[in-house]
Amino acid sequence: MIARDQVTVPAGHWLTRLPWVAGGVGVLATALSLVLASGNPRQFAFSWLLAFLFFASLAIGGMYFVLVHYATQAGWGVVVRRLAENMMGTIPLLALLFLPIVWQMRELFPWVNALADGDDHLIAAKAPYLNTRFFLVRAAVYFTVWVAIALLFARRSRAQDRTGGTAISLALKRISAPALIALALTQTFAAFDWIMSLDPTWYSTIFGVYWFAGSFVSTFAFLVLAIVVLRSAGLMKDVITLEHFHDLGKLLFAFTVFWAYIGFSQFFLIWYGNIPEETIFFRERLEGSWRAMSFLLAAGHFAVPFFFFMPRSIKRKPGLLALGAGWMLLMHFVDMYWLVMPAMHPHGVHIGLSDLAAFAAVGGLFAAVFGRLCAGSALVPVRDPRLAESLSFENV
Amino acid sequence: MAAFGVLAEYATPADLFRACERVREAGYTRWDAHTPFPVHGLDRAMGMRRSRLPWIILVVGLGGAAGGFVLQWWVHNAAYPLTISGKPHFAWPAYVPITFELGVLGGALAAVLGMLGLNQLPRHHHPLFEVERFSRCSDDRFFISIEASDPRFDAVATRQLLERSGAAAVEMVEDPA
Amino acid sequence: MAATEERDLYDPISGRPALILGGHDFHSITEAVAGPVEAKTPPAWWLFFLPSLALLGLLGVAVSWLFWEGIGIWGLNVPVGWAWDITNFVFWVGIGHAGTLISAILFLFRQKWRTSINRAAEAMTIFAVMCALIFPGIHVGRVWVAYFMFPLPNQMGMWPNFRSPLLWDVFAVSIYGTVSVLFWYVGLIPDLATMRDRAPTALRKRLYGFFALGWRGSNRHWQHYEVAYLVLAGLATPLVLSVHSIVSMDFAVSQIPGWHTTIFPPYFVAGAIFSGFAMVITLMVICRSAFGLERIITLRHFDYMAKIILVTGTMVGYAYGMEFFIAWYSGNPYEMFTFQNRALGPYAWAYWTMITCNVLSPQVFWFKKARTSIPILFVMSIFVNIGMWFERFVIIVTSLHRDFLPSAWGYFRPTIWDVSCLLGSFGLFFTMFCLFVRFLPMVATAEVKTVLPGADPHAHHPGAHASAEQLAEEGAH
Repeated sequence: MIARDQVTVPAGHWLTRLPWVAGGVGVLATALSLVLASGNPRQFAFSWLLAFLFFASLAIGGMYFVLVHYATQAGWGVVVRRLAENMMGTIPLLALLFLPIVWQMRELFPWVNALADGDDHLIAAKAPYLNTRFFLVRAAVYFTVWVAIALLFARRSRAQDRTGGTAISLALKRISAPALIALALTQTFAAFDWIMSLDPTWYSTIFGVYWFAGSFVSTFAFLVLAIVVLRSAGLMKDVITLEHFHDLGKLLFAFTVFWAYIGFSQFFLIWYGNIPEETIFFRERLEGSWRAMSFLLAAGHFAVPFFFFMPRSIKRKPGLLALGAGWMLLMHFVDMYWLVMPAMHPHGVHIGLSDLAAFAAVGGLFAAVFGRLCAGSALVPVRDPRLAESLSFENV
Repeated sequence: MAAFGVLAEYATPADLFRACERVREAGYTRWDAHTPFPVHGLDRAMGMRRSRLPWIILVVGLGGAAGGFVLQWWVHNAAYPLTISGKPHFAWPAYVPITFELGVLGGALAAVLGMLGLNQLPRHHHPLFEVERFSRCSDDRFFISIEASDPRFDAVATRQLLERSGAAAVEMVEDPA
Repeated sequence: MAATEERDLYDPISGRPALILGGHDFHSITEAVAGPVEAKTPPAWWLFFLPSLALLGLLGVAVSWLFWEGIGIWGLNVPVGWAWDITNFVFWVGIGHAGTLISAILFLFRQKWRTSINRAAEAMTIFAVMCALIFPGIHVGRVWVAYFMFPLPNQMGMWPNFRSPLLWDVFAVSIYGTVSVLFWYVGLIPDLATMRDRAPTALRKRLYGFFALGWRGSNRHWQHYEVAYLVLAGLATPLVLSVHSIVSMDFAVSQIPGWHTTIFPPYFVAGAIFSGFAMVITLMVICRSAFGLERIITLRHFDYMAKIILVTGTMVGYAYGMEFFIAWYSGNPYEMFTFQNRALGPYAWAYWTMITCNVLSPQVFWFKKARTSIPILFVMSIFVNIGMWFERFVIIVTSLHRDFLPSAWGYFRPTIWDVSCLLGSFGLFFTMFCLFVRFLPMVATAEVKTVLPGADPHAHHPGAHASAEQLAEEGAH
């Protein structure tokens, strides 16, 4: 059995102060962002969208992890699942943080104005889908579905800490599959709405999968970092073993490759077909310093991590694994930047104060909520029927 | 005929596991366990070092991939360049599929041939095959064999060690060679 | 040996239920799997083998006539330059992928239930790839210069076009076949040793022994073996993904509406696994009862396979949805027309067959009763394969028969030779599979033994000491 003090953050521990600090940073950075917004609303809108997308991908990735865990009746991951639940628990906050994007919609999405101007024939053809009202209705649907799933799974999992038994596990297993379908569809269309429609003339059927792939990599990366932080604070010592790190490392490796596969499929098919209305996406990203960022992405998000995460020995050294995980989170941010920003800065990479402020704002608030969720309950589902299996499992 | 060594039979993986630990602790080096399927943790119980095979595979695999890429580069950029679908001669994205496949082929061949090489297989003749009870090693029995060429081998002491380790049967094995 | 406990098939969460039922121990597994191979050929085997052989003969006749007369004996025309030939190619390659998924990917995911079916599934892969490779081979027209496909130095100084997906196919599918054979063979080695050690005739002992390479179960050998197996699994996994992605690129690198779309690679891979698992179910339903292996290939195995079919079928449905939505969203009139034409044009009958079989029928697998009912599993698995054949037909033919220029529109009708080649390929597949189950152990006995509770050396065995004494007594007689 596990010692309770290993899996609960004690009152007064420095970890309990972290969320407040993060929250403070978040609030201040939000204020700074808004100040900057008054001078350059377009830059604010893009910076905020970018930061929002990065942290939304963590929350959504956490949701995928939890749902897949239940659907596959996995055993190894029980000790990690509560942290993933806490990641998805930030969805209500993110719904709130979506509002600035709604506020600045016309700065972000060309189709908002094009409809009013009425002179772009192609965008007008898409008007039944790309119009403000339907966009907002869809966003409301996405967040409703996500909040519903997040609250249901997180609450029932916490309830099981008190009741124990298999009934809750069974019930969640049954809903997990339909929930996954709902998540996949809403996330795909969110990718279309919030990222792909930044250039409304461009399209790619694999785009939803691409955002999913990047999100899932960063989920495992975030989990590794969260665990390392908790262990450095003296918690979870015998609960999360080298075996779990090894598995998270394997998943990091596998999904790094998966991301590259999806990304390359998209690039390669568009490159080969050479049709101008499709190739524009990549031509923009080979312009000026965007070219360097594209190479950074290929090398840093795939080639280097591929060899880094391959050896067994690295996956079993938490310090090195955490280094790799941190790098993957940075690369995911670069990926998001590369997707979003060319619409704002077509001639080159242009990182500014607005980007940093928005990141600190959304990130601070995200960390605050995540931290509070961690501190507010046990760090592992203490009465999950598969907990014993998870604690004792060994890799080959 | 010279002695090949001694063979002990065990009924369960657990018995075998404990016996292997004893044999390892006694300091034998030229010995082996024989099982119908790989037994979890036996490598450590026997004190074996990790296999070198992964490195062989990595090198050959990367070599295969590099070879594939160079072949395509050479054909399309040096030997007989053709302008195909308006793309540059060095159309590296189009070289990726074959490069990848040849890398996988190299790795797979290295894995299989490397494994057989490190195991010194095929070897169709071995003194243990002459032992009648040994035919159950591919069915449901577990064995330990300690070779006479081991420096610590002693016909009496080694046999006693195995008999005391929980073996169901112990037998001396002749080397027909 | 301690008896394994039979647990409720539907036991939910509190423990991991037994995979192998009926109190099997190591020896009884050997008996159950090796026994049928050593026994006399059952009459039922001839019932499957002879018709398959006849169809294989049909294939021989059809291919010979094709080489003699030319591609014109098929129904191909302008604009439909590819039809049943490439449909069959993609169909068979797709089926093969499930075998590799079961062997390799489920191994990486530590799914122990794979051990009952992986041997048969891998064999299925090899035979499916054989069938697949026939079609690109015979459809080239000038078969006598097929060696042009390979990078062989020649007097013209000419080389194959490595930048063409058709050539990537040559490399990808043949490497896939090679690696599948390697993986299958490596897995067979310990079981061939088992067959060798209990062979009833001298001839069988020599044959099995030759191919068993002198395997003697040495743990030092097992160590390298397990590394090789893990690496082969680790290589086969991206291989599965890449091979069918490359096959999808035959279409996706073009500019034709309905073909040129970025989601093709993962969509094709999901579809391949979908159809492959259906074929595994079809084969396993027949084999398990023919060979009395119901306690090794249990309803739980079918439950898991049916779930995978449901998951991959849903992914295929997702891809259909994405194609449809983006075709509209793109605003491209050619794209929009292609999808309208698929649903409402002259080939609508094929399209709706595909949708019914691929999207609607697998929904029955939401219900556990369906997933564990042998008749439903058998019927559904055949529907899925019909649906997946039609999916490739719809993709290829509907996009070709009406593309950009209405004056070039046409219609394709198969000829008797198209049909013969397809039926003949099933003949090849089932002939090989019949031979496989007749002469080789169709379950990976060594691997199944590892999932029995008794295989764990750290498990507590109250019977252990007693049996050691028993053996000592036996040895004394």
